[in-house]
Amino acid sequence: MSKTGQTGPLPRAGLTGPDSLRRGPCRPRFTNGRHPSQPRLILWRAGEALGCVAGAPARPVQATWRGRCPAGPPRSEPNRTEPELRPTPEDVLGFLLCGAPECLVSGGRTEDEEEERRKKRKMARKSREQEKLRLKKIPEEKVPEGPARDGDEEHGEAIDDGALRDQQGSSRDEEDSGRVRGEDGEVAAEESDSSEDEVPDRNTIGGVPLKWYDEEEHIGYDVSGKKIRKQAKRDKIDSFLAGADDAKSWRKIYDEYNDEEIDLTKDERRIIRRLMKGKTPHADVDPYAPYVDWFEWEDKGLPLSSAPEPKRRFTPSKWEHRKVVQYVRAIRKGWIKFEKPKEEPRFYDLWGDESTSVENEHHRLSYIPAPKPKAPGHEESVNPSVEYVPTQEEVNSYQLMDEEDRPKLIPKRYESLRSVPAYEHGMREVFERCLDLYLCPRTRKKRINIDPESLKPKLPSRKDLKPYPSTCYLEYKGHTGSVLSISIEVTGQWIASGSTDGTVRVWEIETGRCLRIWEIGEAVQHVAWNPLPDLPVLAVSAGQDVLMLNTGLGDAEQQLRIKELLHVEEPSTLDDAGNNISLVRWVQHGKLDAIRLVHLKAVSAVEWHSKGDYFITLVPTLLIHRLSKKLTFNPLKRLHGLPVSSVFHPSRRILFVATKKNVRVYDLSKETPTFVKKLETGVREVSSVAIHPAGDNVIVGSKDGKLCWFDMDLSSQPYKTLRTHAKDITNVAFHRSYPLFASSSDDCTAYVFHGMVYSDLNQNPLIVPLEILRGHKDSNGRGVMDCKFHPRQPWLFTAGADSVVKLFCH
Amino acid sequence: MARKTNLVRTLSNWALAPGRSRFCRALGGPTRPSGIRPHATFLLRNLPTRVLRRRQEWEPPQLRCLPAFLFFSPAAEMDSAGIMGEEASRQLQVRFVTKLLPPLKVPPRSIAVPSGLTRMGLSEIVNHILGGGDSDYQPQPFDFLIDGEFVRMSLEEFLLAKGISAEKILEIEYVKAVVPRKQDDPCLHDDWVSAVDGSNTRFILTGCYDSFARVWKDGTSCTHVLEGHSGAVTSVSFINRKEAQRDGTLYVGTASKDRTLRLWKFDTVEPVKNMEKVRAFKVLNGHTAAVQSITSEPSGDMVCSGSWDCTMKLWALNDADAEGDQVSVKKRKANSDASLDEESQLEGGAISTFNGHTQCVSSVVWAERQTIYSASWDHSVRRWDVSTGENSWNMRKSWGTTFMKKFRRDIPSFEMWKVCGKALNCLDVGGEGFALIAAGGSDPVLRIWDPRRPGSLAPVYQFSSHSSWITSCKWHRRSWFHLVSASYDGKVMLWDLRTAWPLSVIDSHTDKVLCADWWKDDSLISGGADSKLFISSGITIQ
Repeated sequence: MSKTGQTGPLPRAGLTGPDSLRRGPCRPRFTNGRHPSQPRLILWRAGEALGCVAGAPARPVQATWRGRCPAGPPRSEPNRTEPELRPTPEDVLGFLLCGAPECLVSGGRTEDEEEERRKKRKMARKSREQEKLRLKKIPEEKVPEGPARDGDEEHGEAIDDGALRDQQGSSRDEEDSGRVRGEDGEVAAEESDSSEDEVPDRNTIGGVPLKWYDEEEHIGYDVSGKKIRKQAKRDKIDSFLAGADDAKSWRKIYDEYNDEEIDLTKDERRIIRRLMKGKTPHADVDPYAPYVDWFEWEDKGLPLSSAPEPKRRFTPSKWEHRKVVQYVRAIRKGWIKFEKPKEEPRFYDLWGDESTSVENEHHRLSYIPAPKPKAPGHEESVNPSVEYVPTQEEVNSYQLMDEEDRPKLIPKRYESLRSVPAYEHGMREVFERCLDLYLCPRTRKKRINIDPESLKPKLPSRKDLKPYPSTCYLEYKGHTGSVLSISIEVTGQWIASGSTDGTVRVWEIETGRCLRIWEIGEAVQHVAWNPLPDLPVLAVSAGQDVLMLNTGLGDAEQQLRIKELLHVEEPSTLDDAGNNISLVRWVQHGKLDAIRLVHLKAVSAVEWHSKGDYFITLVPTLLIHRLSKKLTFNPLKRLHGLPVSSVFHPSRRILFVATKKNVRVYDLSKETPTFVKKLETGVREVSSVAIHPAGDNVIVGSKDGKLCWFDMDLSSQPYKTLRTHAKDITNVAFHRSYPLFASSSDDCTAYVFHGMVYSDLNQNPLIVPLEILRGHKDSNGRGVMDCKFHPRQPWLFTAGADSVVKLFCH
Repeated sequence: MARKTNLVRTLSNWALAPGRSRFCRALGGPTRPSGIRPHATFLLRNLPTRVLRRRQEWEPPQLRCLPAFLFFSPAAEMDSAGIMGEEASRQLQVRFVTKLLPPLKVPPRSIAVPSGLTRMGLSEIVNHILGGGDSDYQPQPFDFLIDGEFVRMSLEEFLLAKGISAEKILEIEYVKAVVPRKQDDPCLHDDWVSAVDGSNTRFILTGCYDSFARVWKDGTSCTHVLEGHSGAVTSVSFINRKEAQRDGTLYVGTASKDRTLRLWKFDTVEPVKNMEKVRAFKVLNGHTAAVQSITSEPSGDMVCSGSWDCTMKLWALNDADAEGDQVSVKKRKANSDASLDEESQLEGGAISTFNGHTQCVSSVVWAERQTIYSASWDHSVRRWDVSTGENSWNMRKSWGTTFMKKFRRDIPSFEMWKVCGKALNCLDVGGEGFALIAAGGSDPVLRIWDPRRPGSLAPVYQFSSHSSWITSCKWHRRSWFHLVSASYDGKVMLWDLRTAWPLSVIDSHTDKVLCADWWKDDSLISGGADSKLFISSGITIQ
């Protein structure tokens, strides 16, 4: 009905609230064309009055005010509260006069009377409605209010007396009302739905002011249109006398409209009494019934218009759509951020007890309490007695103490306690305390108890890997130029060395005695003993020649063989295929007992095959020669890169050719050598290559000081790359029987490594650096030019640019 | 003698005491005894020999200043008395005993000496006592032993180090100190002196790199030059034949790098004016590589050689049954060999070959009749048992197949000790019971093993004063304690087992010393790469 908002306890039934009005006999009917505002008024009045009486904030009720409204439109705001609001007799009278509670009256009359009244009132209502319609058509004619109010006042006085009188017996009436409550409730419930229960007025003039009939003899017209005669007016005295005579006069009220006196029935009187007490008119109305909010106030109100729902309510809003698009764009562009950055507290309590916070539950142990300050004492504020004042000697002795042990305060004697000054270090101590708290390292230092030694790879100790060369005991002196190459005879008895002074020397290893000297004339690049023990032939490369020197070391039979071998007939070489002649000429050396292989270019290296018949020369094209047949081949027609060094596989027919970038492996077992694989060194420039006596491992020395170990079974990448030398590696060497390998470098050192190769294929080679051999001197930026192992002893020979060959023994 | 045996035993015991090497590290290197603090001297008791290398750095000055110091003069006496007075804080009761003969024997009464006395002070006292009032007395240096050990520090320190009580009367034995006399004019050679043998009292035999062996009479003049080798002589040896001793003929065997051994004999009775060239009476062919070492049987009937071809060969010396050999020589002569032009030259083959070594056999020593010791570059020392038995020896006159077979059968019986992991260059057997093996090799340590010790191959003694390879070591022929070693560092050292430091260092050589030997029991002969043979005489071995 109304959307005005206060909620409060509303009476469920009876006449006080809208519900009771709907149910009760005075339920307003809006459907019969009556103006809705009028009947509401009275109900509002009543409800307001009653709600206030009930002590609760009155729910503003727009009650209908049917009939003439003595008070007019509501005089107060709907939700105002009036603390002392009690229904005035005027109100009650108005309430009654407007005829709403017919039910109140119905009980006290006979059936006939009731019937008659009902008819009358119906007719009166009709007429009044017609009147209203008429009035509507003439809006200028407003209903005058004055006389109605006057009439009200008159009636008010009359009923006021009765009400006062009635109050005396209120307690008795209460009991009555309680007794009859049930019946009345039932009756009311029975009649509540009847719309015709109201007694129609006798007068049918409707709402016209009664003063219009003041001059007339009739008061109005009845239903049948007959004039209703005014009753003879009695003067005041008569009426008073009549009232005094009549015992019932206190309960009679005069209906001005109908010009009749109405005798209030007992029920009506009870209602009045109850109203005047501020109670609900009916006793069976529970003013504090539990509130059931029957209405969905928000949506389910009666539509104000019966117009169909507009289309826009079903279609998505364009503007909403635009807004959404805006938001989407803003979100996408990051203008709108949903996750606000977590606001960090500006100050962090370093020393706060964090033991309760959740994240510290886990590491309760890591909580570090703030260091406790020293509790303040009172010694600063004491004027000590003389015996507590330290003497000058004691003060001096304080200076010798450690600063932490030194007393902060030296007590002094003052004249009086009042002259004891403030503690001078107070501020400073506070400041230092702050510094302590602030600068104290809060992190618990996690000391890692790892022995750094344990992080090293588990290498066997050098002691266990003995023997290996470590000390230089013997030197082979005699060369005048830097020794470029050395070679040890396979029995380990002699060592040959070639030098830039153009000589080749053979030394006795045991004593360091120079056995023989050959003057070659050119700087000797490379010397190599024949690997056969019974063929002590020395291959020497110097300039463009390679000489096969007969060292004369073997016994007589060997010498015969060697002489035979080293004999070459001049025409035979010339008779060779033209190809060979153009490559190399095999010539008998003029002075020395030797064969001379004249190459087209300078020969850089000579390397023997282990069988002692074939040998390689690098010119720098790679040539393979056969000593027994005095033949020369050029097996690798096309070689990728410039060969730097080359070795034969110790047992299989495989050739390793080190070019500047990598090592290429060729299979010589076929008629033409086939390329097998390429070992990618990844170094700047390869300088030397050596092969393990077992043949599966190759080491490569490079000019940037790196040493690469290749495991041929593993991959073509280096198994290990050792960055060792500071300068170029000049040569690398494997020991023939001991698990040793070495590298010599221009930084005047030679490194000795333990390089154990296991026969178990699953086990990788073990490489352990063992020793750095020093002793050579730098000569024109060159250091150690060559290194070779003794074939049987764990000794290393190094050839230095300082023209000395050194023997390092274990 | 029994006492000495016990002494050596105890010495070897402490030398092998556990923790020996730890003390060695703790002390770390040569320590001057006078500078040793008392608590450090305690450790010296267990001092190993290795610590004491380069002992000669402090030793020679003492020796050098000895003669001047010991020249007994009132001033010196006063001087020493002053020192005594200063250091007279503690007195020791000592008694000097000696095994020397009466002129050098002091009366056996105890005297009190200051505890701070060193060897020189003791020597002075003894000289003082010996001299008495005799002005003609020539003071001489003495060396002192307490409980069988040489005193190389002050008495106080020595007692502290050894834990000897100073309350009792200390018995100090004195012997003549070793002061080798330097030879002023060494015997010059044309090339490196590679081998020397001093087992003959009259002659010194040297081998040289100029392929000649030389015989020096009395260490002064070269009487015989043994020509014939075509390579450097590597080893020489006198062959003591009893019949040769009688008729004054000297038998000599030489080994050479020309893969042959040659046997020589020459008469020593008639005086030789000039150098006499001798040709070998027998050439022993058979080795396929340079022969490195030769040794002769004590009775002089056989020689043994070790070679670079990893074998050892036994050769018979006898020239009685020359027929077969002679024939063979003639055959060969007829064939090709024109170099052997001498009629008297015989050729001989090896009786037997000892295979076993895997590398060069660098040294062989025929220690006893049945035993040959060999050292090799394969780091092993082997003892070959040449137990031929009486029957075989009886068949000496006619070398037959029986003997050969029996000999061959017996050959594999050898003992091998992989001793030190170093290539060995030299070997000698001697010392106590003629059983200690001294060997030096490719490191500066002279090691001495006792093969009788069961289960242990650790050296009994190690002398490490050298600084380079040891090329030669020889036991004294009579003393159980003395041996000599030569090294590439140019020094010859005289060792006494009773002290860890060399008794004497001879550094007259200017280059590598290649060989050294005793001569006449009181001299050291050594030859080296400076082509000189030095004879250091005057070594008193008690």
